[in-house]
Amino acid sequence: MITRALRHPSFVVGLAITLLVVLVAVIAAFWTPHDATAMRISARLRPPSATNWFGTDQFGRDVLSMLMMGARNALLVGVVAVGIGLSIGVALGMVAATREGSLLDEAIMRICDFTFAFPAVLTAILILTFLGPGLVNAIIAIGIFNIPVFARIARGAALQVMARDYIRAARAAGRTTFGILYRHVLPNITGILIVQASVQFALAILAEAGLSYLGIGTQPPNPSWGRMLNDSQTFLSQASYLAIFPGAAIALAVLGFNLLGDGLRDVLDPKSKER
Amino acid sequence: MQKSTRLGPFAASLSLAVLGFSALPAVAQAPKDSVTICQTLEPPILDPTGGAAAAIREVTYDNVFETLLAYNGEGRIEPRLAEKIDSSADGLTHTITLRSGVTFHDGAALTAEDVKFSFERAMAPDSKNSQKWIFAPIDRIEARDARTVVITLKSFAGDFLDGLAWADATIFSAKSADKAATEPVGTGPYQFVRWNRGDRLLLKRNENYWGKKPTIPNATFRFISDPQAQVAALTAGDCDAHTNLSAPEAVPQLRANAALRVTIGRTEGETIVAMNNSKPPFNNPKVREAISKAIDRSQVNEGAISGFGTLIGTHFSPNHPAYVDLTGAVKYDPAAAKKLLAEAGFPNGFSVTLRLPPPAYAQRGGEIVAAMLGQVGIKVSIEPVQWAQWLERVYRQRDYDLTIVAHVEPLDINIYARDGYYFGYNSEAVKAAVARTKSAKTEAERNAAYQEAQRLITADHANVYLFMLPKITVSRAGLTGMWTNWPVPANPLAALSWQ
Amino acid sequence: MISFLARRLVTLLTTLLVAAIVIFGVTEILPGDPAAVMLGLTATPETVAALRTELGLDAPAFQRFFGWIIGFFTGDLGISYAYRVPVAGLIAERLQVTLPLALMASFLAATLGITLGALAASRANSLVDSALMASAQVGLAIPNFWFGILMVLLFSITLGWFPAGGFPGWETGFLNGFHALFLPACALALPQAAVLARLTRTAVLEALGEDFVRTARAKGLNAGQTLRRHVLRNAMVPVVTMLALQFSFLITGTIIIENVFALPGLGRLIFQSVGGHDLVTVKSLVMIYVGAVILVNALVDMAYGLIDPRLRFGRGVGR
Repeated sequence: MITRALRHPSFVVGLAITLLVVLVAVIAAFWTPHDATAMRISARLRPPSATNWFGTDQFGRDVLSMLMMGARNALLVGVVAVGIGLSIGVALGMVAATREGSLLDEAIMRICDFTFAFPAVLTAILILTFLGPGLVNAIIAIGIFNIPVFARIARGAALQVMARDYIRAARAAGRTTFGILYRHVLPNITGILIVQASVQFALAILAEAGLSYLGIGTQPPNPSWGRMLNDSQTFLSQASYLAIFPGAAIALAVLGFNLLGDGLRDVLDPKSKER
Repeated sequence: MQKSTRLGPFAASLSLAVLGFSALPAVAQAPKDSVTICQTLEPPILDPTGGAAAAIREVTYDNVFETLLAYNGEGRIEPRLAEKIDSSADGLTHTITLRSGVTFHDGAALTAEDVKFSFERAMAPDSKNSQKWIFAPIDRIEARDARTVVITLKSFAGDFLDGLAWADATIFSAKSADKAATEPVGTGPYQFVRWNRGDRLLLKRNENYWGKKPTIPNATFRFISDPQAQVAALTAGDCDAHTNLSAPEAVPQLRANAALRVTIGRTEGETIVAMNNSKPPFNNPKVREAISKAIDRSQVNEGAISGFGTLIGTHFSPNHPAYVDLTGAVKYDPAAAKKLLAEAGFPNGFSVTLRLPPPAYAQRGGEIVAAMLGQVGIKVSIEPVQWAQWLERVYRQRDYDLTIVAHVEPLDINIYARDGYYFGYNSEAVKAAVARTKSAKTEAERNAAYQEAQRLITADHANVYLFMLPKITVSRAGLTGMWTNWPVPANPLAALSWQ
Repeated sequence: MISFLARRLVTLLTTLLVAAIVIFGVTEILPGDPAAVMLGLTATPETVAALRTELGLDAPAFQRFFGWIIGFFTGDLGISYAYRVPVAGLIAERLQVTLPLALMASFLAATLGITLGALAASRANSLVDSALMASAQVGLAIPNFWFGILMVLLFSITLGWFPAGGFPGWETGFLNGFHALFLPACALALPQAAVLARLTRTAVLEALGEDFVRTARAKGLNAGQTLRRHVLRNAMVPVVTMLALQFSFLITGTIIIENVFALPGLGRLIFQSVGGHDLVTVKSLVMIYVGAVILVNALVDMAYGLIDPRLRFGRGVGR
């Protein structure tokens, strides 16, 4: 499996990009070229140079250092938002699967359908107005929309697994429902969940960038790629580099996780076609 | 129906687009019989007595609507609809003679009854006027004849006549006042044509205007909030002028453009870092002094508005003769600030929230202030709020630590004497000084009282006084008459002309 | 068949009603008094109370909810707190920007996506195919607002071909309006085109493997004819479905894109009215957005049920 994976171009490129983003985020935790929050008003809007490789922003902060810190921020959003979706969504989905056709199953799936009717960005704007703008609330808003995605997938996959003979055997042997779910169902649906998690991770990064671009996501001085793009638009004709780098960072990170997801899908389930 | 037929031309022009849009005529040079004035904010409504937004006044004041007296561009008050005002010796009775031959845009003639109606409408309990203090001293209003109004006051108010020059004292006709919010009918040199909400508002010359007729027949206000789009619209010629540019950093670039003229003027907007004086730790004067000393105002001015603001040391406009220059009273000194914090019992600083309203000066200034306070150990978390939440939480409920806001109303130092105001500041000495500004019978007496109030609030470090907001006016070469300063928010179009 | 449609219709109406209740409930508990917001800093409590009465905020919530629902049928959605004009009129005015923008973006995305997807499939596993699919991956990863900013940088600021933002209004001429919407439509279309290109390629490849295609080739039709007459038509079913389902992404996309280009459309209106606490406008706008998504999804669902009876008893089109 590993050799097959390593021969799959999407997987390899995706993995390389993802590792790069993670590596940058880890380095940023210990070291950045400059202090990402230190202002030098007298040195503001300086184009890229030997001291500031990616230039300085409107307060004279080092753009490269901010981008590195931004990677940490993006990964944090992805991990927590997808984590919320995975933990709650999978639990709901598997419960629904064990009670297939029951009122509970119907209720869970109806609520999932219902959530899909609310455009995510629109609802996130409303949630952030209600809870107040900020990183934590943005993560919660994004996380909420991950729940029904994982609930649906987990339910569907769990139903397929539970129809298999050995589950019936386990049940006949008197195993508890929880035991069956934990020992047999969960391990069998992990693959499909990982694939989806990778895709959702990319979407979460995009969503946070969008919300921060609108000014209601991550707040300064905490560097965020979307927020940097928002600020850059004011200085577009004076300092275009401010608009280039953060956008490229978002695109690269999203590309990495998307490719990883595609690659994993092909590797874990060679029969399924790319969609 | 229409939608489906539109698809045809859509597809056709799409191929045109692919072939290259450079073939399209470049944006047409503005013809000389019209002018397009761009401003940052769109008014929510057009009735200046129905809401506090400055944008309402920026569009309507002295254009669509007129007042008895009016501010000119130098901040002096001159007669407008009032030809003359005779005041009794005790200052309690004002006899106002209206100009003759004034008509509303719907043809109705202006009479004394309209003045009585307008002021009584503003004074009514259900009135939405945002400056009711103007009318508070009024005892009764009498329309003596068609052109004479007599206003009797309950008690002397030195600022009563000044108030009549505010947009909040606009004169309506009883017939059309109710529609003023959306279809304004006034006596001004321009009349309302159409409003494409979210984009522009069209006016045309009032051909029956009582005064000097404007030279430009058609005027358009365009609303562009995005700073970059403002610059682009000026450069492309979509705007003949921008009343107050939101992109100060673009000024050098615009100055280099021979087709444009840039002037830096003043507003009445004292921009302050407001502190919740009644809430610990800000109830400790040493903490307030420490915060004042931790903030380098010239750097905030530089970083937030490219240094175009005028530094101030108190809550008063340098445009006013009573202004006292207190900019040297508090010097930037982070070491002293740290020492003061230690003396106040906070050797390791503390954590506060800085609530910021939407304007760029507040957002950018806030980031810098937060970084500076961080240098002396005060951990600041920034929380941006929309105006709605700012009004509710900061202004009304006083639920805040620090905020940044510009107080744009002229002579508003009296807010420091107001009980329950959001500063939470309370000083008997300031209250006495402000009371004397009201009761003073002479200019000199009043100015002395204003000066005392300024010194008192600065000595108390009631707030951190940053700068006066600038007015960055950009206009096309050849267009003259734009106001350089904003004594009141207004853009009178009648004074504009093309050279 | 009838019972299938009836069931779907009941579900549709229930979903719409629940959505309305949720939206109304949320706008009820949002902090901030709209009357106070409108009056600003120096208003007295009596003034605020007077305005509250005028805006009808004193009536019980229950009564206002039904008044609002009925308003969707009578076209009376109340008066905007901020603008003091009927909300229905405001929305109609803004639709003149958002609807053409969304249609233009859909058209661009469909043209580009389907053409490139079909091209990639016809040259499957060639260099062209790999290059196209790699571009599609990149297109998916680029945030549309960043793409918008980049286009402004190139086409507006550097080349001066297009306005950087704003909308002159259709009454200034069709071309002017079109000119202002072109860059925003491109920005909106990019990710959709990428999705459609990938989907078209897969669908065409699948259709190429079907028996009737081999038969067609055997009958002597050349590759181009086969592609046009048989393959594309069959591959179009999932593609068109996706196009409809993308509607939800498209309209949320307009919220951000209209902010990038300062377009006076529905998306900007919603952002402004949320900020300005114009709750009357907010709740009707959100209801329209959500209602549109629910409706489109239900229509796709029903259409599928009619085409393929096997799906009638399942959970609809879910992937």
